[in-house]
Amino acid sequence: MKKDKNKKMKWRRLDNSAKIFPISAGRKYSTVFRLSVVLDEVIEPKVLQMAVEQTVEKYKSFKVRMKSGFFWYYLEENPKKPIVRKEKEYPCTYIDPRKNNGYLFKVTYFESKINIDIFHSLTDGNTGTTFFREIVYKYLELRHPKQFENEERNLRKLHYTTEDSYLKNYDKKAKSNASMQKAYKLRGKKIKLGAISAIHEIIDLESLKKECERADMTITQYMTAVLIFCIYKANYLKYSSGKRKSERPIKVCIPVNLKKYFPSETMSNFFSYITLEASLDKLSENNNFEKILKFVKDSFKAKLRKEEIMKTMSANVKLGTNFFIKTIPLLLKKIIVRLSYIEIRKYTTITYSNIGRVGIIGKYKEYIKYFLMLIAPEPVEKIKCSSCTYENKFVFTFTSILQDNSIEKEFYKFLKQRNINVEIESNGVLDDISKEN
Amino acid sequence: MIYPKRIKANNRDKILYGLLMGSVVIAILLVVINKITSPGFPWAGIANCGIIYAWVTVIYSMNRNTNIAGHILVQAIAISLITLYIDYRLGFKGWSIDISIPIIIIIANIIMFVLTIVSHKKYIKYAIYQLIIVIFSMLPGIFMAKHLTHNIVLSIVASAISAVNFIVTLCLCAGDVKEAIVRKFHI
Repeated sequence: MKKDKNKKMKWRRLDNSAKIFPISAGRKYSTVFRLSVVLDEVIEPKVLQMAVEQTVEKYKSFKVRMKSGFFWYYLEENPKKPIVRKEKEYPCTYIDPRKNNGYLFKVTYFESKINIDIFHSLTDGNTGTTFFREIVYKYLELRHPKQFENEERNLRKLHYTTEDSYLKNYDKKAKSNASMQKAYKLRGKKIKLGAISAIHEIIDLESLKKECERADMTITQYMTAVLIFCIYKANYLKYSSGKRKSERPIKVCIPVNLKKYFPSETMSNFFSYITLEASLDKLSENNNFEKILKFVKDSFKAKLRKEEIMKTMSANVKLGTNFFIKTIPLLLKKIIVRLSYIEIRKYTTITYSNIGRVGIIGKYKEYIKYFLMLIAPEPVEKIKCSSCTYENKFVFTFTSILQDNSIEKEFYKFLKQRNINVEIESNGVLDDISKEN
Repeated sequence: MIYPKRIKANNRDKILYGLLMGSVVIAILLVVINKITSPGFPWAGIANCGIIYAWVTVIYSMNRNTNIAGHILVQAIAISLITLYIDYRLGFKGWSIDISIPIIIIIANIIMFVLTIVSHKKYIKYAIYQLIIVIFSMLPGIFMAKHLTHNIVLSIVASAISAVNFIVTLCLCAGDVKEAIVRKFHI
């Protein structure tokens, strides 16, 4: 945040990734992700409100509201308190700042679950998890003061910045590696406007790990392969035949945490992505899952390299720092981006984001059952997938606006066939998957 | 169970859309009635102008319900446009340029002046609106230069008040004005 001598509101520019989100966001493209925790006790709203208020005071980078400038949006310190509410809306819906005291995140609760919906301009999944974990810690400390009386966690000093790590690390000379091939679009009827289905497949980590070890793959790689296989079997083969046959590849976008590749302590966005492109000729001859595994493994090996990631990141940064683009008035930028956004999104079939293990320390673990992560689906990318791990539970989530849940069912069936224990939880929008299983 | 059974979708857009469509239907009806009953007097256009003004006010209030300076700016511009339109539809006697717009500018500047004095500590949030009002306040000067106005007294008063207002603002809140420009116009 820029410093002021007076008590005026501090402000900061949006980071390179964050710039696009408020320009394109709306009720259909919320660009919101959700983190949830399921505790083994019912949530006490007043305590949660206190926990959230204390946490934003600690993580000031979240105590902001968005303002519009002439060329770009920017973030300004928010003098108001965040609001904690009972969960009443679908997950990952657009956060209306006017109903949320201007905040770009929204904390809700339902029975024993706490949710935080975060607008992507504020931060990415990695830092969002850090912030959410702090809320959970603080909530448990306030709820059970005696148990956490001598907790040393609070004595640790917090180090973070809000710098734009993209600008610090990108390479001006790097060439773009983006594929110009449009992706296969998931087909099927949409559910009614505004409704979002959330299906969580709660997977036993030990049995999943064994399967991954057998395939000599990481969990992210293995799940990506399963996803491609299920999309092909349950959506492509079902809808793409005769006149409606599509020749486009199934493209899976995998967000990458850039902090693993570049030094950064920023609380702002610092992620990029890789795109796996499974061409359909390969898939049809590869209907055998083993070949898909090999394809995914090779693609990850080729694309998950610093040089490749640098190319994708740099191409995006160059777009954001282009003088011509920078000087287009915000109003015009909005019109241009909104008109072209549907086109831009046609280069991905589905996004799968794995935020990995949510590490919880000491006694806090006793109160937590599992964590969930969800990403907002969009009119073009009608299903989005996300996952996170807590203790022995790996939770894979489908958020969807499609009435047809064949992919989710196929995914479940596939894991069951491999003797991987899976339990289903859902928000009931597409109830039949749970009933049929 | 980890989700509530009844989840609500946001219906606000549907309600707004319904009301907007209702307004369009009413506007068309007014034009039809006007054409049938009194084609010589264009009252439907004036009424529809009022409907548009109401929508501008409603939508702006819903979006920016916190900043009073923003409301003053929007109201000043919207009412000026309405008076100009009514004047035009009634044969353009020039009363909008001679009287209405200078008075609107005088009132807007006086309110902004009071706001500056009363709350100069949090002036930064008003600064950008103040600047736009200053630019808007140049209108009477332009009218005079182009010999469009017959009553120059009000125009001179409006221009003088906005100039004084601007000078006072710069004296009291120059830092805020600069800061607001840096924020709003960063590239």
